[in-house]
Amino acid sequence: MRQTARFWRSREGALVLPAFVFYLLVYVYPLGKMAGWSFYDGGFTLKFWRELAGEPVYFKALSNTLEISVLVTAITLLLGYPLAYLMTTTTARARRVLTVLLLIPFWTSVLVRTFAWLVILGRNGLVNNTLVALGLAAEPQKLLFNMIGVQVGMVQVLLPFMVFPLYAVMSRIDLNVIRVARSLGAPPHRVFLHVFLPLSLPGVTAGSVIVFLLAVGFYVTPALLGGPGQITLATMIDMMITTFLNFGFAATLGLLLLAVVAGIFALVSALMGMNRIVGGGGA
Amino acid sequence: MSGARIALWVLASMLMIFLVAPIAIIAITSFNGTPYMEFPPKSLSLRWYVNFFTSPQWYQTAITSLKVAIPTTIAATALGASAAIGIVRGSFPGRRALEAFFVSPMVVPIVVIALGFYFLFSGYKLLDTPLALFLGHTVIATPLVIVMVRAALQTANPAMEFAARSLGAGFWQALWYVTLPSVRAAMGSAAAFAFLISFDDVVIAIFVAGPDSTTLPKRMWETIRFEIDPTLTAIASLLTLVAVVVLVTGELLRRADPTERAE
Amino acid sequence: MKRREVLKSAGIVTAAALTGPFFHIRPARADKGELVVVSWGGDYDTALREYVCSAFEKATGYTVKLDAPPETAKVKAMVQSGKVSWDVIMTDAPAVAAMLKDSLLEPIDYSAVDKAKLAKVPKELQQPYALGQRIYSFNIVYNSKLMPKAKHTHTWAEVWDGKNFPGGRTFNFQGGTAPQLEAALLADGVPMDKLYPLDIERAWKMMDKLRPLVTKWYTSHAQAIQLLSAGEVAVGNTIGSRGIAAKKQGAPIDVDYNQGKLASDNWCLVKGVRDRKIAMEFINFALDPKLQALIAQKVPYGPSNSGAFEFLSAAEAADLATSPENIKNQFWWNTEWWSTPGPDGKTPRESQGERFAKWMVMN
Repeated sequence: MRQTARFWRSREGALVLPAFVFYLLVYVYPLGKMAGWSFYDGGFTLKFWRELAGEPVYFKALSNTLEISVLVTAITLLLGYPLAYLMTTTTARARRVLTVLLLIPFWTSVLVRTFAWLVILGRNGLVNNTLVALGLAAEPQKLLFNMIGVQVGMVQVLLPFMVFPLYAVMSRIDLNVIRVARSLGAPPHRVFLHVFLPLSLPGVTAGSVIVFLLAVGFYVTPALLGGPGQITLATMIDMMITTFLNFGFAATLGLLLLAVVAGIFALVSALMGMNRIVGGGGA
Repeated sequence: MSGARIALWVLASMLMIFLVAPIAIIAITSFNGTPYMEFPPKSLSLRWYVNFFTSPQWYQTAITSLKVAIPTTIAATALGASAAIGIVRGSFPGRRALEAFFVSPMVVPIVVIALGFYFLFSGYKLLDTPLALFLGHTVIATPLVIVMVRAALQTANPAMEFAARSLGAGFWQALWYVTLPSVRAAMGSAAAFAFLISFDDVVIAIFVAGPDSTTLPKRMWETIRFEIDPTLTAIASLLTLVAVVVLVTGELLRRADPTERAE
Repeated sequence: MKRREVLKSAGIVTAAALTGPFFHIRPARADKGELVVVSWGGDYDTALREYVCSAFEKATGYTVKLDAPPETAKVKAMVQSGKVSWDVIMTDAPAVAAMLKDSLLEPIDYSAVDKAKLAKVPKELQQPYALGQRIYSFNIVYNSKLMPKAKHTHTWAEVWDGKNFPGGRTFNFQGGTAPQLEAALLADGVPMDKLYPLDIERAWKMMDKLRPLVTKWYTSHAQAIQLLSAGEVAVGNTIGSRGIAAKKQGAPIDVDYNQGKLASDNWCLVKGVRDRKIAMEFINFALDPKLQALIAQKVPYGPSNSGAFEFLSAAEAADLATSPENIKNQFWWNTEWWSTPGPDGKTPRESQGERFAKWMVMN
């Protein structure tokens, strides 16, 4: 306790103070205000929460949100792991090229990329035209306004978020351990399964948690590329504000989403240790 | 190369195409002569670019975005860098918790943060002002700055600072002449990211901005939903160009920095 | 020395950049002669600016700033926060009803509008808080390549028939427009003059039948037109005028006015409008028959002032929803029924809108 107080009075503390105060005013306070709105309607009330509990619709929206997020996490993991592995085990030059290519979409706005998919995945878009021309499909496939469109759009945005943590951990794996295992006669696939894979797990966890949490908060992509089965909690919040003008209920849904995210984060960090995720391996 | 290796490279190439191609396709479509966004374009023209630069509803919003992004970059970098230095150099129990607190906005769903801002700013009649956008963007940009500067600080050598102090330098002098230069590259990158985060933000703008403070992404979002305009393809290409320029500049500056260790 | 100079100027630039947004002072409106008019954007706004705004600006010396779209949530936030930056809005009847419920509007000053003009505007469009500007209808709009004119869906029943008329459908969702229950009932065989009061349960049964046929539920009419011209869907329920406008620009779209639902977009005054006199003057300008005709020639919406038809050719009139030929096969959207609160205090627009959202999510 005293050490903490001493920190805040020290000069290091002075460096941290401006950001801390800023956060309190512009980040914590508004969230608190939002939480307040969820219980206020002329006086303290639980009516929004009662309504939330009584209507299956909102839980369907929540389950849509979770379904999308789980699927995105799985796909980015499946695709990102081999990619990160390749980055770890290749030449520095090839790695640089891959990194730059990974960063380019990373820094184009979500709106731009989602819009691109709207144009490309349409019935008369590039993908369908190619599929039909090559004879791979009898007629244009429905690639938009369903889970396929949403997954394609979101995986493209979130793949780098899976690859970079994976790479960060993989690149720190001591290659000597691998070498020893090989020299002891273990075949490559066993080395991979029993040595490399377990050592890369912190990266898997970090990447998965990041991707999942980001996916849960996605608003733009499911709204533009998805159909009714992909109506997320974020979309419902927007609907509450713009269509139904029900601010109290919007706040309630916001609080629900926040609670879900906080819960998942707490669960994972309790199981895995917060260091792995926040610290990224630093001392 | 073994079969497995080849398979890996094939997968990697396909993924790279997957990541980059859509943007390239939009760039090509932006030169389409007709307003039907067909690919490949049947005729070429620069009309959508011209439209962007000559329509107030577009270039005004770009200016607004800049007006918000530049102060955000400065504020986020300043706040974030100082906080990162303070956290890394200070030591006390609960440091991890403070770190987690500072990074938490990256984890909270952006729509929840935006909603919080909505309630905050409406209470102070600040909705639909560039000031509100500046505040909001700074909150979401600062965590990334903290993460990046912190990472750089942890790999930098604290011994140099220690040496400077023992040679008689004061706290602030050591900070300015020793610590900051060592994280200059990271700060530069962080500043670039902060700029892009603010410039490209759409969710916070949807909730907080209005006719007096419409940013470019907000106008784009409205256009996609209400009145689809092929000018979007030109704008999308320009935004990508801006991002690439910012990235490349950042990378070149980093290479030119003598304190940056060679790869 | 030099470094300090550089740092100093950098500091000044930084200070300027940081404080920039806060000192961006907007000129006070009304005193400096600016009027903010909010409409739906797109081609109509372009025509509005070209004819009405320029005439108004020339006559009064005020500048008109056009904005879009007229979101009710924005109006609510503005009025409640006291920072009203919109003066005149043009929006549809459901939005007007929603805004009235929250007391967000001021009454129309009918004494400020020329009697001659009002005489030619339908009585239904002269409400205390809303004055009609343009008339359109929700029609069967289809892609003429996927559905040739000879064999297209001529009735809502045929739109519901996915077997004989294959192809994706698009209907509206979100944006405050309640579900198209009238179209559903017409598809089930209810005669046009016996629609209201709506048999809600019967309508929803038909909506259930429609659901599998819908490729995409559109969130804006522009999106519907985009889906239709790109061939993503074969037919949709959207605004015929927009379909005609797209057709004129070369899109493979056509409109069937049979069984259309007529509606109007109306002028309203936001509560707290700074200069009511000037705002009403603008509305008066907008109702001019010649100007309305000029707009209608560019953008095929029906003018609220039927005097405009004197300035239109027969061909131009035929495209409009309110031409004699087209209007006889359509019915008026009974916005009164939709805005009358039921026993639970909710209007059908609210309760059906909620039911629609829930119906959509629980698919």
